[in-house]
Amino acid sequence: MAALTATAPARPVPARGPRRLARRRLPIWHLLWLVVAAAYFVVPVVSLLEFSFGGRVGGHAAGFHWYLTVFNDPSFRSSFLLSVRIAIETVVLSNLLLVPSVFWIHLRLPHLRPVMNFVSVLPFVVPPIVLIVGLIPFLSPFTFLYSRPEVLAFIYVVFALPFLYRSLDAGLRAIDLRTLAEASANCGASSASTLLRVVLPNLRAAVIGGSFLTVAIAMGEFTISSLLSFNTFPVYIFNIGENTGNEAAALSVISLLLTWAFMVGLFIVGRGGRAGAQVAATR
Amino acid sequence: MARLELRGLRKQFGRGVVALDRLDLEVGSGELVSLLGPSGCGKTTALRIVAGFEVPDEGEVLVDGVDVVGLPASRRNMGMVFQSYSLFPNMTAEDNVAYPLRIRRQPKAERQRRSGELLAMVGLATQADRYPHQLSGGQQQRVALARALAHEPAVLLLDEPLSALDAKVRVTLREEVRRVQLELGITTLYVTHDQEEALAISDRVAVMSEGRLEQVGTPAEVYASPRSPFVASFVGTVNRLEATVASRAERTVRCGELVLRVGAEDFEHPDGTTVALYVRPEDVTVRPLTDGPAPAGAGGTVRGVTFLGSVTRVRVDCSLGSVVADVSSEEALHLAPGEAVSVELDPRRLRTLAPA
Amino acid sequence: MLRYLGVVPLGAYLLVFLLIPTGELVVDAFRDPSGTFTLSNVTTIFQAQYLSSFAASLELSALAALFGGILGFFAATAVVHPNAPRLVRSSVTTFSGMAANFAGIPLAFAFTSTLGATGVITVAFRHVGVSLAAVNPDATTLGLALVYTYFEFPLMLLLLVPALDGLKREWREAATNLGASGFTYWRTVALPILVPSLLGATVLLFGGAFSAYATAYALSGSTGNLVTELIGNLTNGNVTVDPQLAYALAFGMIVIITVLMVIYGLLQRRASRWLR
Repeated sequence: MAALTATAPARPVPARGPRRLARRRLPIWHLLWLVVAAAYFVVPVVSLLEFSFGGRVGGHAAGFHWYLTVFNDPSFRSSFLLSVRIAIETVVLSNLLLVPSVFWIHLRLPHLRPVMNFVSVLPFVVPPIVLIVGLIPFLSPFTFLYSRPEVLAFIYVVFALPFLYRSLDAGLRAIDLRTLAEASANCGASSASTLLRVVLPNLRAAVIGGSFLTVAIAMGEFTISSLLSFNTFPVYIFNIGENTGNEAAALSVISLLLTWAFMVGLFIVGRGGRAGAQVAATR
Repeated sequence: MARLELRGLRKQFGRGVVALDRLDLEVGSGELVSLLGPSGCGKTTALRIVAGFEVPDEGEVLVDGVDVVGLPASRRNMGMVFQSYSLFPNMTAEDNVAYPLRIRRQPKAERQRRSGELLAMVGLATQADRYPHQLSGGQQQRVALARALAHEPAVLLLDEPLSALDAKVRVTLREEVRRVQLELGITTLYVTHDQEEALAISDRVAVMSEGRLEQVGTPAEVYASPRSPFVASFVGTVNRLEATVASRAERTVRCGELVLRVGAEDFEHPDGTTVALYVRPEDVTVRPLTDGPAPAGAGGTVRGVTFLGSVTRVRVDCSLGSVVADVSSEEALHLAPGEAVSVELDPRRLRTLAPA
Repeated sequence: MLRYLGVVPLGAYLLVFLLIPTGELVVDAFRDPSGTFTLSNVTTIFQAQYLSSFAASLELSALAALFGGILGFFAATAVVHPNAPRLVRSSVTTFSGMAANFAGIPLAFAFTSTLGATGVITVAFRHVGVSLAAVNPDATTLGLALVYTYFEFPLMLLLLVPALDGLKREWREAATNLGASGFTYWRTVALPILVPSLLGATVLLFGGAFSAYATAYALSGSTGNLVTELIGNLTNGNVTVDPQLAYALAFGMIVIITVLMVIYGLLQRRASRWLR
C-alpha cells in the first residue's frame, strides 16, 4: 500500500464551531421541473375554464350561459345517456368475459399466463383506427348488431381488456389463489361457488378499479363511435365544437370533471394502485 | 499508513434524537477497530460521518491529523463496504472492482490488472465475468470488499458487511476480511452488532450504547473486564448476581450463602453496599452433590440443560440466584433437571460493578 | 383437455373482435374491390403524398415522445428525491393519473383555448409582441406535439417512478464513496440501470402518439395530414371513400409498429443483459 501516501487528497480544513442543523430541502433544479410540470397540467385546464365562461351574450358576460345552454340541449342528454349506457354495457360484458377466464387461467392453466400477457398488450399496439378499419367490413353484414349502439360496447371490451386484465391479474397474484381454492374445495365447495364466495370478494378492489378505467375509456372514446356514426358524448362535443367554441369548452369541462372523478375513485379504491393500470384513455 | 481520529462527534436527528454524543475514538495506523453495539446505538451514524454521508453537528474527523469533515464523500479517499446490495447490478464483478479506477481515469490495462489481482485476493478470480445477481451473497460481499480496496484508500470502512449472510458464510468471510486487512495493513473501522464477530477479528473493540462509547479495549479486555453493566451484558453471556460487600479491605462479598473473594480488579466499594456480581458461564463449576466430600459451593437444583455442541449450558437455581454454567458435554451427562448440585464461582474471574 | 373449455369464450371473443379483423385487414390490403390479389394498394402508399403523411406522423410521435419523455423523466426524479415531501409524491402521481387520462376531444379544446389563435397564452404573448403561431395546435406539428405532451409526460412519470424507486441508496453512496461525482454516478450507474425502463416507456409514448386520432382530428378537422387522419377521412366519407387505400395505410401502420416493437425488443435485450 505504498501508493497510499500519494493519494491522500485532504488539505487542512479549518475547524468549525457547532454546525447548523441543515433543513433537508428539495434541490432547486428538481423544484423547477415540478413547477414546469404543474404549470403544464394546470394552464390548459384554466384556459378551458376561462373559455367556458367567456364571450358575451346579449351585451353582458356569459357567466354560466354556456353550461345552461348545454344542459337545455336535448341532444346533450341523449348523447350523454347513450355514452353512459354503452359504458355500463362495456363494464358488464368485459367483467363477465374476463373474471371467470382470468380466474380459470390462474387456477388451472397458469402456463397460459404469458400468452395472456402478450394478448393483453395487443390492443395497445393495434391503433383504434386500424382496428375499426378491419372491423367495418367484417361486422357490417351482421346488421342486427352493426346498426345498434351495442356494437360499440362489444368493441370497447377489446380496448378495456389490457386494463381490466392487468388489474385482475395483479389482484389474483396478490391473493394465494391455489391455497384459497384448495381450502374451499376441502370444505366441499365447487369451483363455481369458490369463484363466487371466495375469489370475488377478494377481488373486489381489482374489479372495481378495472371497471373505473373501463368506464373512463367507454365514456371518452371518439374514434370508433364517430366512424360508426353513433352520437355518443364525445362525438356530440366534437359536433358542438364545430359551431360554438365556448359551448364546447363547457362540455369539455364537464367531460374532464367526469374523467377525473373516475380517476379519484380509482385512487381511493386502489390507494394509488400500480402505475401501469392508471392510464386508460383512448386518443 | 493513515491514522483515523474521531473527536467530539455529535449528531442529532430531528428534534431530541441524539444519535451521537461526543464520540472520541482513535484508530491507529493499520489497526482494525470494531464499533460494536445494538441497533440504534449510533455506530452506523459514526461510520457514515467518517465516510462523508452525514455531517456531524459538532466534532472533527481527522485522517493523519487533517480534518476531513468539510470534504465531500467522493474526495475522502476511503473505501466502504455496505451491508448489502451495493454492487452495481449493471456491471460484472470485474467492472465493479475496476469502477474506482475508471473514475480516476486509469488506463484500461492497469484497471484490468488491478481488478484481477483483487478478485484473486478475495478468491473470485474465476467469477470476474459474472453479474452481481449471478453471485451468492457471500461472493457479492467479497467483490464489494475488493472494490472498496481497488483505489488503495487510506481508510477502509465496513458497515455490517456480514449481517445479511448465512451464519456459516459469516464465519468464513469474517476471517477472510481480517486476512485481507492484515495483508494490506489498512486502517479499518468495522461496524457490527455481532459481539462474536467483533471479538474474533478486531485489534480493539469499541462498545457503544445510546450514542456514547462504553468501553474501548482489546477483545480480551472487553470480554474479561467489562467496565460497565452494559458491556458486561452485551459482550458474551454473563450471570448477573446480587451481592453485598462484606469487607472492602479483604475484597470479599457475600452472595447467597457464599462469601467470595474478588480478584483481578480494583475493588472500591464501601462495606455493606450492594453490588452487581458478574461471572461468565464458563467460570461457573457445577458438581453433582453425590461426589465425595461436602463441596465448598452453594447448593442448588438443576432446572434446565441445553446442549450446545462442545459445551452444555446448565441452568441452576441456588441461593446465589438463577445461574447458568457451561460445562463440558461429557460432564453434563450426569446433570439432569431436578438433580441436586453444588455451584462454585471462579473467584479470579469475578467482576463487581456498582448496580446500574 | 377439458380444462381448456374455460378459456374458449375469451379466446373466441378475441378472435372475432381483434385477431380476425386485423388479419382480414392485412389480407385486404393486398386485394382489389373484386377480391383479386393486387399490389397496387400497397404501392400506392409509396406515393409522395402518403409518404409525407407517414413522415408527419413519425415526426409528431418523435416530438411528443421527446417532450413528454424529458418533462416526465425530470419530474419523476424530483418526485422520488428523498427530500421531496410525501405529499408531493402522492399528489403528483394522482394528478398524473388524471392528466394522462385527459385526452381526446376535451384535450383538443383545452389546447385550442390555450395556444390556439385566440388562446389565453397566445393572446397574452401577443400583448408583449411575441407570436405563438409556430406552436398553434390547430395548424402545426410542433403545436400538436405540445398537446400530446399533456398526456405523454404524466404517462412517462407514472412508468418511471417505480423504476427510479428501484435505484438503491447504496449504489449512489458506493459510487460517491469510490470517488464519483453526482453526474458520474448518473452516467455510469443510474442511467445504464434505467435504460430498459426508459426504452419501454419511450416506446409506449411513441406508440401512443403514433396511433392517436381523436385529438388530432378535433384540432385540424379533415385537413389533417397524419396517417390516422387520412385513414379516418377515407373511412367516414368526408373526403373520398376508398377502403382499399385505407387498408393499405392501416397495413403500413401495422408494419411500422411491428418494426418499432422489434427494434424495441432488440434494444431491450441488449440493455438488460445484466438482468439475465
